[in-house]
Amino acid sequence: MTWFNDIFLDPLSATYFQKALIGGCVVAAVCGVTGSLVILRRMAFLGDALSHAMIAGVVGGYLIMKAVFNIEASAPAMLIGSIIAAVTTVMMIGFVSKSSRLKEDTVIGIMYCGVFAAGIVVLTIFQDIVQIDIMHFIMGDVLGISDSDLWLSVIVAASVLTIMILGFRYFQITSFDPIMAASIGIPVLLFDYLLTICMSFVVVSTVSMVGVILSVGLLITPAATAYLLTDRLNRMMIIAAGFGVTSVIGGLFLSVILDASGGVSIMLFCTMQFLFILIIAPKYGLLADWLRKRRMVPQAVTEDILKGALKINNDHVKIKSIGKRLALPTSTIIKGLRSLVRANYVLLNNDTFSLTPSGHKQALRIVRSHRLWESYLAHIGTPIDQIHNTAETLEHIHDEKTVDFIDDMLGHPTTDPHGSEIPDDFVDASKGMITPISLLRKGREAKICLIRETIIASVDIKIGEHITLGARINSGKTWVIYKENGVEVHLDHQKADLIFAQTTN
Amino acid sequence: MTIKPQGVTPTNGKAQTNTPLAIEVKNLTVSYGSKPALLDVNIDIKQGQLIGIIGPNGSGKSTFIKSILGFIKRDFGTINILGFPIEKAKGLVAYVPQRGAVDWDFPITVYEVAMMGRYNKIKWYKSPSKNDIEVVNDCLEMVRMSEFKDRQIGQLSGGQQQRVFMARALAQGAELLLLDEPFAGVDAATERSILDVLARAKNAGKTLVVVHHDLATAAEYFDQLLLIKQRVFAYGPPKVVLQESLLTEVYEGQLQVFSQLNAQAQ
Repeated sequence: MTWFNDIFLDPLSATYFQKALIGGCVVAAVCGVTGSLVILRRMAFLGDALSHAMIAGVVGGYLIMKAVFNIEASAPAMLIGSIIAAVTTVMMIGFVSKSSRLKEDTVIGIMYCGVFAAGIVVLTIFQDIVQIDIMHFIMGDVLGISDSDLWLSVIVAASVLTIMILGFRYFQITSFDPIMAASIGIPVLLFDYLLTICMSFVVVSTVSMVGVILSVGLLITPAATAYLLTDRLNRMMIIAAGFGVTSVIGGLFLSVILDASGGVSIMLFCTMQFLFILIIAPKYGLLADWLRKRRMVPQAVTEDILKGALKINNDHVKIKSIGKRLALPTSTIIKGLRSLVRANYVLLNNDTFSLTPSGHKQALRIVRSHRLWESYLAHIGTPIDQIHNTAETLEHIHDEKTVDFIDDMLGHPTTDPHGSEIPDDFVDASKGMITPISLLRKGREAKICLIRETIIASVDIKIGEHITLGARINSGKTWVIYKENGVEVHLDHQKADLIFAQTTN
Repeated sequence: MTIKPQGVTPTNGKAQTNTPLAIEVKNLTVSYGSKPALLDVNIDIKQGQLIGIIGPNGSGKSTFIKSILGFIKRDFGTINILGFPIEKAKGLVAYVPQRGAVDWDFPITVYEVAMMGRYNKIKWYKSPSKNDIEVVNDCLEMVRMSEFKDRQIGQLSGGQQQRVFMARALAQGAELLLLDEPFAGVDAATERSILDVLARAKNAGKTLVVVHHDLATAAEYFDQLLLIKQRVFAYGPPKVVLQESLLTEVYEGQLQVFSQLNAQAQ
């Protein structure tokens, strides 16, 4: 058990490790909360910029305190300096991107590099006076965290968390829909600035832990990890805080095991954690996505299965015989059947299946579409031997609007070019529906409920009369209807479209 | 549930006796740089109507909507909403954004979006009251979205997404609803469901102003049409506005619109 002591218990008894653990967890938790808003607002690059820009403020704050009060390395002054540098950079970015034709990301890049360079140059000029270790600044030093840094982090974290909790609703609405937020009188700009200031404070704390280069990682990675797991902002913030904490704990122990720097170990652990969740997340993970895609079958296949089952017309259709019919491997048919089961179109037994009533209807819809497309192809002069194959493709375009349009254009044919009956429009012409009588076939009964004004004088039918449809004559172009008193009325397509009736059978 | 801005009295003289106009625009002029977006727009819109704004691309439809929302600096002119000057009318007007303008991956549920309509009425240190929750639930019921209230908004159909934002607008208690192209790129079933919600809101006495780009359906959907291109070219019932001579003048060079329209008419 000595290795356990070496890796887990010995470090815990060391004060520097305890401080790193406490400070790191506090900072990482508030990073997760703030970072959630940062990634949703696509401000990650700005976060990176802030961490770089603050060096100018740190140097500035250091120099002023030294020159005016002769205080060495005053932590509060450096903090205030960093905040001022960060806010100034943000304001310059805002000003330049508004008043020039450059896009914001370009301006962010220009400004923070400039401010960073200026900070480093000043630091080099005054290197005899300013006791700042540039490497600590760039790489961070979580294991060497000072008491004043620790206190500062705790205070920053507490204030930012308070602001986030109290302002949650306003941060949510201004991130999601700033236009609407402004229209109900919420000061959008105020909350934008408030978030940027919170972000600056958080970044300043993270820089002392993991350094300039990695600070944006601690800000966005735990939040991004949480984003893969939840669909609510408040939960995302809590989970992100949790991932921040686990990153710090895991990373610090990793640094003991690998004997590596604390900052990079934390970021490495944090990134691995992200990759792990990216793979296994139940809804938005890669594995889930892969499984979903694997289960997916082309719509054409499922529709062909339905149509095939309708033609076989048996309560127990053999899976194998469908496979033969469609010339598809059994595995594809089974995948297709599973997706049809989920849609409640078929019932699956061991090696047979049957259509449910709604599956039967769906199959009829496809047959109707197929035969109407065939009629259409014949209508535009396609050679009869090519009609079927083309319609096999076109039948999958079967939305109601399209099919009804073709049906009407062709004069509501009852049979296709091969002489097979086209299933009637069971959606619009089912029992009790009000429909133009042009859609009704032989034997249907209905009560007339509306006749368009334009033809009311020219037809021998009145509203309220009960009618029965006879077989169409004149190669389907004339509708024959019988009134209750036996009188026979003939109508052409146009008139039949303009008389509406409620079906009674 | 109507909220009245406090400390102001309606400026419309007729307001005391009659119901005030939903929107009253006088001499509105807006420009971006040197380009005029709206020129001397005058319009009176009565309450309780479903109004479509039509006009070619870049005709100022969106600018008009944004002006009514109070987002745009006017060069001059006045806008009164329900008798109140626009600056005092915050909360009386609700905006339903264009679908492309929404981040559908945002971690937020249907219920939370609708609750946003109440955010300006909830004190910052309080949670939503019983009344707020009741109003939000009623509004979701009205647009028939109650059963989806815990869904993330990206996992809805186009029509359902539109209805969520309608619910939010209704939850705001706004009397005037502005919708930016709700029918853009939706299928027939969605179109019907949106129309159904618009009709319900109208029956509840709301005034709805809808930016619309499809002339072929404009007559069917709206009570009144407003034809804009920088100026107001016509305002009235569809029969009056959709005249070929008028449309040719406004839609110069975009003639495919007419062939479509004529095909519909024949």
